[in-house]
Amino acid sequence: MKNENRFMIISQNDKPKGFFYVFFHHKLGVCGLCGILLFILMAIFAPMLGDMPQGYGDFSSVQLAPSAEHFFGTDAMGLDVFLQVVWGARTSIRMGLMVVLYSILIGVPVGLIAGFFGKKTGEFLMGVTDLFLTLPMLPLMIMMAAILGPSIENVALVVGVLSWPRIARVTRAATLEAMGMQYIEAAKCLGIPTGVILGKHVFPYASSFILVETTMLMATAILAESGISFLGLGDPTVWSWGKILQGAQQNGIFFQAWWCSLFPSIFILLFVVSFNFFSLGIREGLNPRSREI
Amino acid sequence: MNLLEVENLVKHFPVAKGWFGRGKQTVYAVNGVSFSVAKGETLGVVGESGSGKSTMGRSVLRLIEPTSGRVRLEGVDVTSLNGENLRKARKHMQMIFQDPYASLNPRLTIGNILEEPLKYHGVEKKNDRREQAERLLREVGLDDSYYDRFPFQFSGGQRQRVGIARALALNPKLIIADEPVSALDVSIQAQVLNLFVKLQETRNLTYVFISHDLSVVKHLCNRIAVMYLGEIVEMAECEELFRHPLHPYTQALIRAIPVVDPAQRRQRLILTGDIPSQTSPPAGCPFHTRCPQCMDICKKEHPALLTQSGHQTSCHLYGKH
Repeated sequence: MKNENRFMIISQNDKPKGFFYVFFHHKLGVCGLCGILLFILMAIFAPMLGDMPQGYGDFSSVQLAPSAEHFFGTDAMGLDVFLQVVWGARTSIRMGLMVVLYSILIGVPVGLIAGFFGKKTGEFLMGVTDLFLTLPMLPLMIMMAAILGPSIENVALVVGVLSWPRIARVTRAATLEAMGMQYIEAAKCLGIPTGVILGKHVFPYASSFILVETTMLMATAILAESGISFLGLGDPTVWSWGKILQGAQQNGIFFQAWWCSLFPSIFILLFVVSFNFFSLGIREGLNPRSREI
Repeated sequence: MNLLEVENLVKHFPVAKGWFGRGKQTVYAVNGVSFSVAKGETLGVVGESGSGKSTMGRSVLRLIEPTSGRVRLEGVDVTSLNGENLRKARKHMQMIFQDPYASLNPRLTIGNILEEPLKYHGVEKKNDRREQAERLLREVGLDDSYYDRFPFQFSGGQRQRVGIARALALNPKLIIADEPVSALDVSIQAQVLNLFVKLQETRNLTYVFISHDLSVVKHLCNRIAVMYLGEIVEMAECEELFRHPLHPYTQALIRAIPVVDPAQRRQRLILTGDIPSQTSPPAGCPFHTRCPQCMDICKKEHPALLTQSGHQTSCHLYGKH
């Protein structure tokens, strides 16, 4: 990508470029942000686009191909697929946010402590982390759905509890790297309290790595939710992209009525890709090197 | 009275090798180092890479936990302090780091970097901190308008000055400088060394100056300790050491200093081989594997540190046999 600014000569007195300056000059990052904003707007304004599709649709409008009336066609029940997709965005975003929240709340402190204190504490925490990494996600989600009943919250809990090790590992790796930095040693030498060193020096260093992992987690969460819904273990009271696919699969119209499977799949893809692009932009903005004059 | 007293300082790092911790090895980084530094004095510590001089400096400051030994600062046993007491005691002893690029957090402004230590050592008001930070900048020869800038906007020499200002922020008594000029251009080195001298005069500082460059140390130090494989092999007043180096290792180091005048060119004494592995130091005198004057006893017995009119050396050449 061409970046004209790189070749401009700016005097030493110029202030460094801010995070937002760098971020908004990163084209992919902006694309990602736009994508995410569109999805969020779609989720917020879903009621204005149409009521949530429920029950049985019109008998005469079963499996209609996309048209001006039904943008994405209708499914085997005669319900509008476009509205299902729009309402499904709510589920996906809620799911993603919950998973990210759980895994950050557990993973970041564990990673920071394991990296900072090393030795026994670190080894113990990483042992626990590895243990959690070995647990398979799908059977646990199915178990949870069977025991606690199918709901978005339960799925998010399982995915969150199984995903924090990823955040913890990234945080620990970044912490270990930061611990080798002389400025951390300098901070210790200056008698800065440990909590402050972790919060002010180590965490900001680790944050870009964590953010990148977080956006990938959003993707994992959405895929996990889609998967569990596709298996029919999702929340039956809300629409989600996986549930639309499951409906198409169950009714045997996965390939005939291609619009029932194509559009939700495209939305899953776009959502995941938006987050990944967004993370690239954030990483660029947080990198002090790219903020240099 | 001595400001700093180090007694028998030892630092061994365990390294696990192989599977399941089989073949566990130990790096003998610092092996029983003792010295003291008087108030206002500058002690130079020289030695090649791997001689344990940086580890020694960091152990004194408890940035690395020493394996054993005592460190006393103004009579207070630093090695026995813990937790909050250690944190508070840290303000009396500071470190200046080798790499001015890595020792400043690139995300913080110069002002933030200088104010941080003040904030956690009792300077509550933001205005006071700012005032002190600007005074520190002027003291190390920087403009106080640099307050809002980021480290990457400075040259290496300027960054090192910021590092020095940060170390001074808490008004320490002792400063351990770990190769503070070796990462700088030669033209900048002299300026920074002069700053060290000036600060010592105005603030009555005590330095432990770690370097691998004898000519740098010569200009700054009152006394010099020569380290080899984690031990002090010779320690003397600066002039005495350069005039009458006793230990063969010191002699080799001094002869290796380049001389500009060809008429004065000394015969160089070139050491063969490398510094031995720190995981398996040689028996007897640590230097015997490279010593041009090695005797039988050197391979068996470890020489004691002998003192003669303030000149210490540990070499069998000067023992009584």
